[in-house]
Amino acid sequence: MKKIFLLIAIFLLLTPGIVRTESGRALLENAAGFDNKTVTFRGEVIGVIPRGDFAWVNLLDNEGYAIGVWCSAENAENVLFIGDYKHEGDTVEVIGTFHMACAEHGGDLDIHADNFTIVERGHEVDRSVNLPLAALSIALAAVAIFIAFYLWRIRKEREKILPWPSY
Amino acid sequence: MILPLTKDDLKVIGYSMSKIVYLVGVLLFLPIIVAVFYGEFDVIPFFLVGIAISFICGSLLYHFLKTKKEMELKHALVMAALIWLVAPLLASIPIWLANATTSYLDASFEGISGFTGTGLTLVTDIDHLSRSINFLRHFLQFLGDGIGIIVVSLSILGTTEMSSVLAFKGEAKDVGIRPSIVRTSRIIIGIAVTFLVIGTVLFTAAGVYAGLDPGTAVFDGLNHSMTGYATGGFSVRSQSLLYYHNVWIEVAAIVIMVIGALNFNLHYAVLGGKRKEILKNMEVRVLLLFLVVFGVFVSANLLQLNLYSSGEALFRKSVFHVISAQTTTGFQTVPASSLMFVWPVLSILMLSISMLIGGCANSTSGGIKLLRVGVLFKSLVKDIKRALLPKSAVVKGSFHHIDDVPLTDTVAKGAAVIALSYLILFSVGAMITVAHGYSLEDSMFETSSALSNVGLSTGITSPTMPATLKVTYMFLMWAGKLEIIAIFVLIGFIILALRKGIRK
Repeated sequence: MKKIFLLIAIFLLLTPGIVRTESGRALLENAAGFDNKTVTFRGEVIGVIPRGDFAWVNLLDNEGYAIGVWCSAENAENVLFIGDYKHEGDTVEVIGTFHMACAEHGGDLDIHADNFTIVERGHEVDRSVNLPLAALSIALAAVAIFIAFYLWRIRKEREKILPWPSY
Repeated sequence: MILPLTKDDLKVIGYSMSKIVYLVGVLLFLPIIVAVFYGEFDVIPFFLVGIAISFICGSLLYHFLKTKKEMELKHALVMAALIWLVAPLLASIPIWLANATTSYLDASFEGISGFTGTGLTLVTDIDHLSRSINFLRHFLQFLGDGIGIIVVSLSILGTTEMSSVLAFKGEAKDVGIRPSIVRTSRIIIGIAVTFLVIGTVLFTAAGVYAGLDPGTAVFDGLNHSMTGYATGGFSVRSQSLLYYHNVWIEVAAIVIMVIGALNFNLHYAVLGGKRKEILKNMEVRVLLLFLVVFGVFVSANLLQLNLYSSGEALFRKSVFHVISAQTTTGFQTVPASSLMFVWPVLSILMLSISMLIGGCANSTSGGIKLLRVGVLFKSLVKDIKRALLPKSAVVKGSFHHIDDVPLTDTVAKGAAVIALSYLILFSVGAMITVAHGYSLEDSMFETSSALSNVGLSTGITSPTMPATLKVTYMFLMWAGKLEIIAIFVLIGFIILALRKGIRK
């Protein structure tokens, strides 16, 4: 039994596409090396674009590199949260074929997903108003109005005493 | 003899700047409307701070530097050079406060990249940026590069004196559509808004067809239309147009990029009924020639390496990037790293040349400009003819640009001076980039992208790049937008003040 586990462990370690999750940076900077190979990529969903029975799911990894994933519409429908200003998107792990320039999709760099797993649900992000900052900004705006008004009055007073010279 | 500077010289410049500084404050109210619409109330204080600082600066400039002295050409050029620095620095305050960038330097880079219509970005996480801050980035491009901040101020303030005409020239917008400068500036805004609406409709329709929900399609469409027409290239997505994986969005982008790269005078002539002008105009012909030549060469180079094998792929990657580079827009459909690590050197160099040449004069494009390149080419042909013909022969040349324009030595010299200035700055910028450890071809690509206000990137431009390189690119974007001459006059102004002082 031990030997079987050992063999599985060695197999998994030697198959980077299956075990090791590739970073977006590694995939993008060494696209030729990964072309048409099976890779594992994990990232936050930042966009779901349905296309009939399929869908594009754009994933953003934690280093800020984004890659489009071509998956079934069924997989895409499981995504509940899409990352934007007010949401942290679902984290998805895909195992699929990486294409440096996909012939099926007009030369796009993409991953065709064979396996699509939601590993962590996204959530709403608290974007409540920072009250001290809001108060400060209103105070600054009031100062701006006061300065504008004060300088305008001084100028009017001066113009009464000394009209502008004409050149 | 050059006269020493007086305090009045500084007053004229400062006073004329004050009105535009106020205007920046007023225009920052627009993203607040977007913030309210999308319920992003937490972002509003950032805009209020930007507005307040703009108003305070405007008030101080207006009060202490008010003068009735008439503006001269030197004042106009210095004012244009300074306002194109000050306005982005003020407009970038909300971007910095919203933590969209890691420092104020990066926010200023974003502001200058926005105002000059460059499109290189240092925003750390575009995909999680609030819609109002994102709108501000795109609006800056539409305002700064799509229309021109001085054009906006002339249109709103309705100033008709000579100074306005001079300031107009300082902004590198030597458009002579109508005799009245105010009327001309309003026509420029009219043309820009017309194409903004057309672009938004095209992008939205393509977006809905591509599978976006209507709300997202409209927001993305409006923003891409603003930056497409401005040939700016900012995108609401970190992947730029690759995010959508859709050919029709790319076609919409091509239409709006080409429209933005055409001369305002040409737009006015065509919209006014002179439709044949588009076929006769030298700049349009040169644009088509370069698009075909670069399109064929880059496609052949990519095909040779079997990178993109289908016709569709070649159109969406090769032709698209040639158009994006030539029009100096900067929309991308491949990741930046693909340009650096996958695309062949020859294609990168051809795109760099394409970016350096740029779009039409008096358009939203950057670069040396097609009109100047056309003039230089024609004058070269003229010189060859002159050398071949007998001494007594009179060699005349002309080109068609709205009217038939005689090709004089003065016209050729003007074009040559600007082209040479661009090439010098390009060489210096590329050398500085190489000195930071980047390869020559990537350095040339990124430098021409910054100098010609394009925004295509091989990935050099990132929040982690050295501060010295950020400052270098900020200078290149600024100098490129103002077609360099205004910057030289500003430098001359500073040297004069240091050497001879400022007199009363």
